[in-house]
Amino acid sequence: MIARKDWKVFWRYPLNAVSNIFQPIIWITPIYFMGKAFSTNGQALGFAAYSGTGDYMSFILLGTVLTNYILTVFWGMGYALKEDMDAGVLESNWLTPVSRLLILIGRTLTSLLTTTITSLIMLAIAGALFGFKPTGNTLAAFLTAIPMLLGLYGFGFAFAAIVLLMREANTLVDVSSFLVQGLSGTNFPVQSLPYWLIPVAMMLPLTYGLDAVRGILLKTNTLLPINVEVVLLIVFMFAMLWFGSWFFYRVERRVRTLGTLGQH
Amino acid sequence: MQTSLTPRSLGQPGILSDVRAFQAILGREWRIFTRYPSWMIALFIWPLIFPMLYILTARALSGPDGSGLVVFMKTTGASDFIGYIVIGTTVWMWQNIVLWDVGFSLRNEQMRGTLESNWLSPTWRFSYLLGHTGPQIVSMLMFISITALEFGLLFGVKLHGSVWMILLVMLAAIPSIYGLGFAFASLVITVKEANAFVFLIRGLVMIFCGITFPISLLPGWMQSIAKWLPQTYLIHGMRAAAFSNAGITELLPDLIPLLLFGTFWLVVGYSTFLWMERRARRTGAIGQY
Repeated sequence: MIARKDWKVFWRYPLNAVSNIFQPIIWITPIYFMGKAFSTNGQALGFAAYSGTGDYMSFILLGTVLTNYILTVFWGMGYALKEDMDAGVLESNWLTPVSRLLILIGRTLTSLLTTTITSLIMLAIAGALFGFKPTGNTLAAFLTAIPMLLGLYGFGFAFAAIVLLMREANTLVDVSSFLVQGLSGTNFPVQSLPYWLIPVAMMLPLTYGLDAVRGILLKTNTLLPINVEVVLLIVFMFAMLWFGSWFFYRVERRVRTLGTLGQH
Repeated sequence: MQTSLTPRSLGQPGILSDVRAFQAILGREWRIFTRYPSWMIALFIWPLIFPMLYILTARALSGPDGSGLVVFMKTTGASDFIGYIVIGTTVWMWQNIVLWDVGFSLRNEQMRGTLESNWLSPTWRFSYLLGHTGPQIVSMLMFISITALEFGLLFGVKLHGSVWMILLVMLAAIPSIYGLGFAFASLVITVKEANAFVFLIRGLVMIFCGITFPISLLPGWMQSIAKWLPQTYLIHGMRAAAFSNAGITELLPDLIPLLLFGTFWLVVGYSTFLWMERRARRTGAIGQY
């Protein structure tokens, strides 16, 4: 029911869908032209030395699509809670005899579907404009992305708990979203980061997800062997799901004790 | 007995009452600005992390031996790729913040339910927008100074030009950037939800104005569009003033279009405001949200 309601709301504002398709293209256009300024005879040789591929636009486009999913799962639940708070329906929803985590997951199901639709259209348009040439096994890449996304649900639960506690977390969301995207290598291989930032990137599980998917689809150089990265992603998935739900229930109990659930 | 009372209300018509109204709005906006210190955190973090995304990508494109960077320097004529990118992204952020701050100032007032009552006071209504603009310009100056300081201290970006010339280019750009903001603020009152317009305008700046690359790399038709956007001249002028030690003569090809665009956008901004004011009185749109 929650997913169906969100589906209806999303398509009531078709400009949002258009914006979801074109915003990522707008953001990566300066990178496309900047890449040309770094290229010799259309070859980004410097980029190839780090990543193993000179096709920097395919590299970035794949990162952009995965980022769309990361944003949906990672931040989507927290934003949904904030929306319910502002609309004044959170407390009444909370009184229903449904698992709180299920309510949160329900809020992301529609987003996942709409993200898939808009990302595919974005990829088609951006592919026509900039070129997108995956050469690897799409199914293997998809299966590799699944533990990453499930692990992100754990992150999402923990973040939703912070929203419950702080009630206003926009700056926190924007800044941390930008930092996580930047440091996990959405737009560039993390090997090119300054040496003091590489350990930070290596601590982010997303780094391995992006790296492994690119390694499979674009045959790029990976940080670790792909098998090891997949095992790390599976371990991270269980750890984050456990930690996220534990943290969420702990905070939720605290918020109920304080009686601040209805405030915003 | 007769008492003499000098009326000091805003209702007294004349320039002085308009000035007093402007001062009152300016004071209120400044108080609101200083009441939310969390904004200060954003003031220090955003100038650093937004350009970083492009700077780190540029680092990757340079390659481990910096061979790509040599090509970039030759193509752009820049001596410092970080400074080159920071100027472009800062201009983008400037326009973006003005659209959200000045562009949504009347709308926010409308949402708070205070716009209609303010509208009834016998003041020059354009001062509502001008009052928002004052603290905004101050905060933007702080924002740009912090950007320069952070990149100077942390990344060793050095100016090779005159600060006064940079300020001159920025001063010439103020009318067009804020004129666009005025026009936008008036439209928002009419169309209410206008996030898509912000995305459109900032998207145009991002794609066409060369925030991370020289516009000579754009196809011909895109270069023609870029010439109609004042931010193109602002970015070019600031880069020339900051890193090529350009003087007034060298900056004139950027300053003249900036002033012409500025005049155009101020006229458009003010006319749109007058049109919105008349329309709002006729339709009662001021109180609706």
